[in-house]
Amino acid sequence: MKILMLGWEYPPHISGGLGTACEGLTTALGRLGVGMDFVVPKLFGAENAPHMRLLAPTPAEIAASSPAASSTPAAQVGNRPEAPSGGTPGKSQPAGGTRAILQRLLGTATGAEPEGHARELPREVMERIQKVEVPSFLSPYLKNTPAELSQAIRTRLERALAKGRSPGATEEGKEAVAYGAVLDAFERAGSALPPLVQSLLASSIHESSVSEHYGGDLFSEVGRYAAKVLALVESRGEQGYELIHAHDWMTFPAGVALKALTGLPLIIHVHSLEYDRSGAGADRRIEEIEKAGMSAADTIIAVSYYTRDLIHRRHGVPLERIQVVHNGVYARNTVQSYRDQAKLDSKIVLFLGRVTFQKGPDYFVEAAARVIPHVPQVLFVMAGSGDMLPRMMERVSELGIADKFLFTGFLKGQDVERMFSMADLYVMPSVSEPFGISPLEAIAYHTPVIISKQSGVSEVLSHALKVNFWDVDQLANLIVSVLKYPELGTDLSAMATEEVKRLHWDASAAKTSEIYAKTLEGRRSPAKELNS
Amino acid sequence: MPSVCFYFQVHQPYRLKHYPFFSIGKDHRYFDRDKNGAIFRKVAHKCYLPANQAMLNLIRRHDGRFRIAYSITGVAIDQMAEYAPEVLESFQELAATGCVELLGETYYHSLAGVYDEDEFRAQVALHAKAMQRHFGMRPKVFRNTELIYNDRVGSVVAGMGYQGMIAEGADDILGWRSPNFVYEAADSRLRLLLKNYRLSDDIAFRFSNRAWSEFPLTAPKFADWVHAISGNGETVNLFMDYETFGEHQWEATGIFEFLDHLPREVLKRRDWDFLTPTEVLDRCQPVAPISYGRTVSWADVDRDLTAWQGNHMQKSALKQVYDLAAEVRSRNNPATLDLWRRLQTSDHFYYMCTKWMADGDVHAYFSPYGSPYEAFINYMNVLTDFRQSVLKLKAHKEAVA
Repeated sequence: MKILMLGWEYPPHISGGLGTACEGLTTALGRLGVGMDFVVPKLFGAENAPHMRLLAPTPAEIAASSPAASSTPAAQVGNRPEAPSGGTPGKSQPAGGTRAILQRLLGTATGAEPEGHARELPREVMERIQKVEVPSFLSPYLKNTPAELSQAIRTRLERALAKGRSPGATEEGKEAVAYGAVLDAFERAGSALPPLVQSLLASSIHESSVSEHYGGDLFSEVGRYAAKVLALVESRGEQGYELIHAHDWMTFPAGVALKALTGLPLIIHVHSLEYDRSGAGADRRIEEIEKAGMSAADTIIAVSYYTRDLIHRRHGVPLERIQVVHNGVYARNTVQSYRDQAKLDSKIVLFLGRVTFQKGPDYFVEAAARVIPHVPQVLFVMAGSGDMLPRMMERVSELGIADKFLFTGFLKGQDVERMFSMADLYVMPSVSEPFGISPLEAIAYHTPVIISKQSGVSEVLSHALKVNFWDVDQLANLIVSVLKYPELGTDLSAMATEEVKRLHWDASAAKTSEIYAKTLEGRRSPAKELNS
Repeated sequence: MPSVCFYFQVHQPYRLKHYPFFSIGKDHRYFDRDKNGAIFRKVAHKCYLPANQAMLNLIRRHDGRFRIAYSITGVAIDQMAEYAPEVLESFQELAATGCVELLGETYYHSLAGVYDEDEFRAQVALHAKAMQRHFGMRPKVFRNTELIYNDRVGSVVAGMGYQGMIAEGADDILGWRSPNFVYEAADSRLRLLLKNYRLSDDIAFRFSNRAWSEFPLTAPKFADWVHAISGNGETVNLFMDYETFGEHQWEATGIFEFLDHLPREVLKRRDWDFLTPTEVLDRCQPVAPISYGRTVSWADVDRDLTAWQGNHMQKSALKQVYDLAAEVRSRNNPATLDLWRRLQTSDHFYYMCTKWMADGDVHAYFSPYGSPYEAFINYMNVLTDFRQSVLKLKAHKEAVA
C-alpha cells in the first residue's frame, strides 16, 4: 500500500504536536509495511525519516521532473492526456490549454516567438482566471482582481524575456514551468474543486509570481503548498498512490484539489481545530477550509472523542463519518535526573507549552495565587512563549506572587527534558486540547500530571488528576494535595508510567491502517457502504 | 440432611462530601448529608423494601422452612433511622418471624480487625449492643468486614464468645477440601462457615450476564446445582451483598422472580432444607481444623486486602487514621469518637484502590469520586482537619519538607 501524505511540519525543526504526531504515526505505519510519500512545505535538512520519502517540492524540482523540461516544447503541444472526465461544457480546451501557455512562455523565452505575442496575455489564461470564483468572505484577503492577476503573470513573463535565457535555467523560468503544471492540474481538476480551494490556488499562482521569497500570510502559504503539491503530482505522473492522507487544515486545500485531480480517496486527519486554538475568536476562513476538507473527505480521522464531538458540533459532520485514532507516545529509555544536581528546596509546579488562549495559562496563574499562601516552599514555572505571555507576567506581579513564579521563555531540546525532570508536578490546564502529548512526556520523566477534562489525552490516561479548566479552586486543591501528600505523587507517577507504556504508536498505526482498508473498500463498493 | 445457608450483607457507608484543602480549619462537617440520604433512599426503594417484603412472603409461604441470616452494619442502621425508618421497621418485622438470624460485625464496617485489636473489640461490642437494642437478639456467629479472616482474627473473635465465623472459601486455603462442610479454626474452638463462592457468585455477579454460558439462570437450574452436592456436603453457604436483589441485579433482570421460586425448588428434594448459620453449627460437627496462613477477604479475584491497602495512598491513609487512636480515646468525647470511627469505614479506602483501573471495571460504579486519587485527596483533607481542628494536633509530619 502506498499513501500520499500531506503534512505541514516534521521534527526536529518544529517539535509541536502536529509534527511529533506525524513522526510517530508514520514511523509505526512504516513498520506495518505501509509506503508513504510525505510532502511538507519546506525541509530544513535535519529531518530523519528513513521509513518514508520526505518531500518538499521546490519549483526547480518540479520543473526538473516535468515533461516540459525534458522534451521539446513542440512535442508537448496536443500531446497531453485528456482530462479524466467532468469538464464543464464551457471549457473548450481542457487539455492542451495551460500547456500551450507554457509552450508559449518557453518559446518566447528562447526567442522563438515574436515579442508582440508575448506581451499579449494568452486568452486561455484570461478565461481560466476569470472562471475562478472568489467567495465573498475570502475577498478581504484576496485583494487581487483577475486583471491584476493577469498583470502578474505578464510581469513574470517579461522578466523571463529580459533575462533572455532558457526558462529551465532561470528561477523565473523554473517557476513558470512549475506553475504551468499547476494551471494544468487546476484545469484538469476542473469544476470539481470547491470555489474556496480554487481561489486559494489562484491566489497562490499570483503570489508566487510576484514575490520571490516566502512570506505573506498563512493563507498564501497554504495556497502555495496546495499548488506545489498539485504541480508535483502532475509533473511526476502516476506513483502508485492508493490514498491521500492530509494532516490538519493547512493541507486540506491540497488534499481536496488532489482528490479532484486524481480521483484517489481522501482521508483528512484532524489534530486540532481552529476552534481549539481560538475559541469564540475562531477565524472563519480557516473554519471554511476545515469544512471544505471535511465535506470532500471519504473518511475523517480525529485524534480523540473530544475532537470528534467538536467536529460534529462545529461543522455538523455526522458522528459516524468520523473515526477516532488516539495518538501514541514514544517509550523513553533513560531519564536523567536533573533534580539532584539542582538542589532545590522548593517544589516545582510546571506549565510547559505555548502561552496562548488554548493552553489556559491564565488558569495556571490564578491557581498558583491560591496555592502559594498554603505551601511555603513552592515555585511555579511557566515555560513557553506566546501572545498571552505579557499579560501573564503582568498578572503575576499584580497578584504579588512574583517571588514564587518564574517565566523561562521558550525552551527546547535538553532544557525541556531538564524542566520536565525537575518538576514535582506538571499541569496542563488547556481550554480545548484535541489530544495533548505533553502530559505523556511529563510522565515519561516520572512527573505526576494534572490535566484538564477538556482534552483528548484524558480519554486514554486514567492515572492523572483531572479538572475542568475553569475550576480554578479545584485545580488549586489538586495542586496543594500533590505537594502536601507525597503518597499521591508516588502512586500517580508509578501507575501512569505503566499506563503510558501501553499507549504505543503501533496501536494508532494499526487502527489507521484498518481505516485505510475500509476507506478503499468503501470506494470499491459504494453501494455496500451506503447500506452498511 | 444437607442445607442451604443464606447470609446477606446490608451496609451503606457515610460518604464524605467534597472537601477541598482550603476547607481545612474552617469546616468540620465532613459528610454529604444530601447525597447519603438520596443514595440510601434509592437503595431502599430498589432493594431493601422490596427484598424484605419478598423474604417475608417466602418465610410465611413456606411456613418457617425458609430461613435466612443478615449482617447489618451499625452505620447502615444509623442511616435507616436517619433517612428511611420504614426500612428499619421492615427488618424488625423480619427478625420477629423467628426465621431470621442476625450476625455480629464491626459497627463501622471498619478494618480495625487488621489494624487495632482494642478498637476492633470496642466496635464489635457496640454492634452487638445495637442488635440487642433494635432486634432483641445477641449475635452468636460473627462476620468480619468484607469477610476478612486470618487465624489471629479468628482467635480474637473466639475470645469474644462467638461460636462461629463466616469466611471466604478461597481455593488456595481449601486446596482439595470442600467449602460445603463446617470447619474449625486452627487455634481455637471457633467454627467456620466457608462461602461457596461459585454458587454465590452465580447469583450475585453472573445472574444477568448474557455472555455467561448458563444464562439465563432459573430457580430449577440453580436448585439442581445445589442438589448435586447431596452426599458430598452438609451446607451450601450462599453469602452475598443484599443489594444483589434490585440494586446490583436490577428488578428487570428477573432476580426477584428467581428469589421467589428458589426455596420451593430447593425444598422439592425432601432431604434438603434451609438453616441459619447458628442452626448449621448446631447440626453439623466440624470435619477438620483449617488454618488461614494469609489474610483472606471476599473481594475481587485476589481474595486479599489489596482492595483496601494495595497502594501507598491507602497504606498511608490507614496508618494515619489508626495512629490517632490514643489521642481520640484520651478525649473521652463520644462525638469525637464516633466521628473518628466513621472515618474508619472501609469504603473510604476502597475508593482509593488503583489496581483495577486498567480493566475499566465495575467497582467504579460504587465510588462517588472521579478517580481513586480524588478519593485519597478528599479523605486526607478531612483527616487533616480532624487532626488539626477537632483534636487540635499539629500535623504530625510536615509533608512539604
